[in-house]
Amino acid sequence: MSTGVYFALLFVGAALVNNILLTRFIGLCPFFGVSNNFQTSVGMSLAVAFVMTMATAATWFFWNFVLVPLGVGEFLYIPAFILVIASLVQFVEMFLRKYVPGLYRSMGIYLPLITTNCAVLATATEAVNPGFFKINLPYAFGFGEAIVYTLGVSAGFALALLTFSALRERLELAPVPRSFKGNPIAFITAGLLSLGYIGMAGWFGL
Amino acid sequence: MSEWVATLRNGLMLENPLMRLMIGLCATLAVSTQVESSLFLGLAVIFVLFASNLIISSFRNVIPDQVRIPIFIVVIASFVTVVDLTMKAYVPAVYAVLGIWIPLIVVNCVILGRAEAFAYRNRVGLSIADALGMGLGFLIVIVGLAFFRELLGTGSLVWMGEPVVSLPESYPAPAILVLFPGGFLVFGFLMAGFNALDLRREKRKEAGR
Repeated sequence: MSTGVYFALLFVGAALVNNILLTRFIGLCPFFGVSNNFQTSVGMSLAVAFVMTMATAATWFFWNFVLVPLGVGEFLYIPAFILVIASLVQFVEMFLRKYVPGLYRSMGIYLPLITTNCAVLATATEAVNPGFFKINLPYAFGFGEAIVYTLGVSAGFALALLTFSALRERLELAPVPRSFKGNPIAFITAGLLSLGYIGMAGWFGL
Repeated sequence: MSEWVATLRNGLMLENPLMRLMIGLCATLAVSTQVESSLFLGLAVIFVLFASNLIISSFRNVIPDQVRIPIFIVVIASFVTVVDLTMKAYVPAVYAVLGIWIPLIVVNCVILGRAEAFAYRNRVGLSIADALGMGLGFLIVIVGLAFFRELLGTGSLVWMGEPVVSLPESYPAPAILVLFPGGFLVFGFLMAGFNALDLRREKRKEAGR
C-alpha cells in the first residue's frame, strides 16, 4: 500500500467508519449541548478541530520525548496529558484574544469548555497508544500519522454535529408526543443517525 | 442531618446527573452494553467522585480562585490513576471491556461539575452526601440502562461469565440494542418514561389542588 493511500484510509477510517460521536460515543456532551443551533455547532466544530490537532501534536511530543524516556508513561499519562491540554487551551485562548480577536469572539466560550471534552483527551491518548481502541494497529503512530488521524477524527466530529443540529432544528417544529419533547426525541434521532454510520462498519477492513 | 439526606436525595432523583442534568453521557451510553461492566464503571465513578469531593471541599479555603480548575483536574486525575491501575491489576477482564473509559473518567463532566458546583462551595459533610447521591444516581441509571440493553438485546444477563437470567429460546434478540444506535434509542425511551411519570405527577397535583 502506498503512503498516500494509507493516509487516505486512515483519514476515512477515523472520520466515517469509526466516527467518534456516533459510533464510539466519545464527546457526546457538546453533541447534545450545542446542537440546538446550527450556528453554534459550526463554531464548536471549528474550535474542536483546532484544539484537537494542537493537543495531539503537543501530547505526542510530550509522550515520546518526556514520558517514554523517563519510563513513567504507564501511570503518569492521565494527569500529564490533561495538564498539557488544559495549559495549551489556556495559551491558545490568550494568544487568540491578543492577536486574532475576530476568531476569538467567534469561538467564544467553546474554547475553555473543550478542555473537558473527552474527545480531545481520547484522541490524544489514542494517537500515542492505538492499542486502546478497536482499530487494530500494532505500533504507536508516527507524528504524521497522529496528525492525519486527528484531522480525520475532527472532520467526523464536525460532520456528525452539523447533520445532527440541522435535523434538530427541523425537529423543533415537528409534532412530537409530549413526553418525548426535547431531549428524548433528540436521542432517538441520534440513534437513527448512528444506524446510518453502522452501515459503514468494516469498510476497507477498518 | 435532614440537610444531609436532602442533598443525597437531590443527586438520586431531582438532579440525577444523567436523566436531569444530562452530563456524563458518553461513558454511560458506551459502557451500558453489559450489566457487569456498567456496575464496575459506576463503582469507579462513585470512588473518584467521593475522594475528589472530599479533598476539594477540605481544601476549598486555600485553593485560589484563578487556578481552581487545573487543581481540580489534578486531584481527579490522581484518583483516576489509582482506579486505572487497581482495575488493571485485579479485574483484568473487566478492564479489557472498559478500556479507554477508565482514563476518560477524568473528563467525565459529572465529577468536574460536582467539584466546581458543589464541593468547592460547601462543607465536607455535605460534599460527601452530594458525592454519594450523584454517584448512586449515576450507578442506578447506567445499570438500569444496561439491564434493558443486555437482557433485550442478547436474551440473557451474564455475570462473571455465567448467564444468570435467560429469556426463552423463541425470543428473537434484536442485536441492534447492544450496538451503538441501541444506546441512544433505549436511553431516549427511558428518558421519555421518566418525563411521562413527571407529567402524570404534575397532573395529579393540579387535580388535587
